[in-house]
Amino acid sequence: MRTLAAKPWFWSFVAAFGVWLATILFTGGASTIGVSQAALTFAAFSIIVGLGQMFVITLGPGNVDLSIPSTMTLAGTVALKVMETNDGLVLLGLILAVLVGLCIGVVNYGLIKLLRIPPIIATLSSSFIIQSTAIWYNRGIRIKPPATLIQFATGTTLGIPNVALVALLISVVIWVLLEKGIYGRRVSAIGQNMRAARLAGVPVDGTRFATYVLCAVLASLAGLLLSCFSGGAALNMGTEYLLSSIAVVVIGGTAVAGGSANVPGIWGGSLFLFLVVSMLNTYGASAGVRLLLTGIIIIGVILAASRRPLA
Amino acid sequence: MKNALVLGALAAALVCSTAMAETSGKRIALSNNYAGNSWRQAMLTSWDTITKVAVESGLVAAADAFTTAENQATEQAAQIQNLILQGYDAIVVNAASPTALNGAIKEACDAGITVVSFDGIVTEPCAWRIAVDFQQMGVNQLDFLASKLPEGGNLLEIRGLAGVSVDEEIHAGIEKGLAAHSNFKVVGSVNGDWAQDVAQKAVAGILPSLPDDIVGVVTQGGDGYGAAQAFAAAGREIPTIIMGNREDELKWWQEQKDANGYETYSVSIAPGVSTLAFWVAQQILDGVDVPKDLVVPLVEVTQDNLEDQLAATGAGSVTNVEYTLEDAQATIAAAK
Repeated sequence: MRTLAAKPWFWSFVAAFGVWLATILFTGGASTIGVSQAALTFAAFSIIVGLGQMFVITLGPGNVDLSIPSTMTLAGTVALKVMETNDGLVLLGLILAVLVGLCIGVVNYGLIKLLRIPPIIATLSSSFIIQSTAIWYNRGIRIKPPATLIQFATGTTLGIPNVALVALLISVVIWVLLEKGIYGRRVSAIGQNMRAARLAGVPVDGTRFATYVLCAVLASLAGLLLSCFSGGAALNMGTEYLLSSIAVVVIGGTAVAGGSANVPGIWGGSLFLFLVVSMLNTYGASAGVRLLLTGIIIIGVILAASRRPLA
Repeated sequence: MKNALVLGALAAALVCSTAMAETSGKRIALSNNYAGNSWRQAMLTSWDTITKVAVESGLVAAADAFTTAENQATEQAAQIQNLILQGYDAIVVNAASPTALNGAIKEACDAGITVVSFDGIVTEPCAWRIAVDFQQMGVNQLDFLASKLPEGGNLLEIRGLAGVSVDEEIHAGIEKGLAAHSNFKVVGSVNGDWAQDVAQKAVAGILPSLPDDIVGVVTQGGDGYGAAQAFAAAGREIPTIIMGNREDELKWWQEQKDANGYETYSVSIAPGVSTLAFWVAQQILDGVDVPKDLVVPLVEVTQDNLEDQLAATGAGSVTNVEYTLEDAQATIAAAK
């Protein structure tokens, strides 16, 4: 128990479980399956973008990707427009979404490295360009996804939403990268001290480059999934994932200053963020009270998590 | 002979008061604070369509549209100051804030520029306001539900973006409607931020905890399709969801209507209201006496005109009306 409580992600799960329990108790447990399925479904999107943001933040102070929402929008828009509800083009759409992510990642790091623009400014400015491209590309037209993709994105397997299974698959890959692979070690090393990492022979530029590309590709995949799930890409569909991608990283116990990351916390944070809003809605809290309580609970969770002894 | 002279003078007066001669050298600018959704895209497209014809026919010299990158009042204030320096004769503004632009608007008025605000209106007294009667939008929803479901029942309310005055106004209208039709009760309320995906997420989160007998969903526009998706995903019977004239909402309604005779009601304002503001500005420049407060007409889609309205609504857009000079004159006359 003591070792478990010392894990940085522990408190995000405690919080998520607490609000889950409070929500289902409102109906005496009758809503258990409904609430759990909804939470897994909607947390899945935050998890996928949160994993990318987690690596970026772990690179150290000043590293954050603000182009996630516009990347989601552009990837969803381009993929759906090319597929044009045609089931035969699903693979092409998927490849295009990944390509959009790759390009955006390359551009982002290009701005950061070649033009020496701080990441916050670089990704913010590229987000304007990406968003404008999305507007120019289809002027807000909502194109329906192919039927197979709608079925997949809104369906369940053995009672578990498919999007949550996708998030799980991606999380396992990311966990291996972070905990077992050399890439994860390098990201953490750079985040702890970039100069030391460079002197120790870590390929700093290559690792940072790969991280920004990875983040953009994950955002693209999330954008494609979300647009299939909600019946079409909309220009404003990624907006709420800007702050929530950062929030789930922080709530999940990843160090904001960089150098230390963990995958389970992204799940705890994402489930918690969805459930806390559902719980307060269920209890009929007004929007003002809801925002206030959400803020207070988040501060509480972060405080609890940060009281762990330093390793 | 005398009669003929009077008639002639009248005719001359009429010719002078038609727009052509008076405003052909005038330049009008659109100051817009946001372009990132389908409603604003349609608003800008309508502006282009109508003003292009007006410029080509020499009615006005220019009608340029400017949109700020961030939805920020400070940025829009700076933009308006630039427009003043560029010497526009009138500025039509959809404002980021009802009060934060007042300083810049006052500067424009002091420089002799006509300022017409619409949709997002400003409180500065020197500007004209073409406001939406958002409360009426709320009242209409309950009136429709009461006519369709005389026995009343439980409702779910989807609100807009918390802290924005439009959300408060529509909500106040819904409260008014609830007071008038007391057999309806709101059993759950969520914020859908006028976006399908946010509404879908919020409704999916609260649905498991709501009673099974939800008969209707009152909305604010842009959130109806998401609500329908959430009900369908939860395997629930789909109640009467009020729509907000978005193409995806109307298309979904049409599909349901064809499949099972689904009935509902849809209300919003047309993005083309920017063109109404354009004509009002043109009329003011022309010397017409225009009251400071005008009301935008609501656009309603009903069971009977659904097919026509859907056909006239572009893919991914919002049911639109592009206003003419005559519409503007009628709106002005109605306010007098």
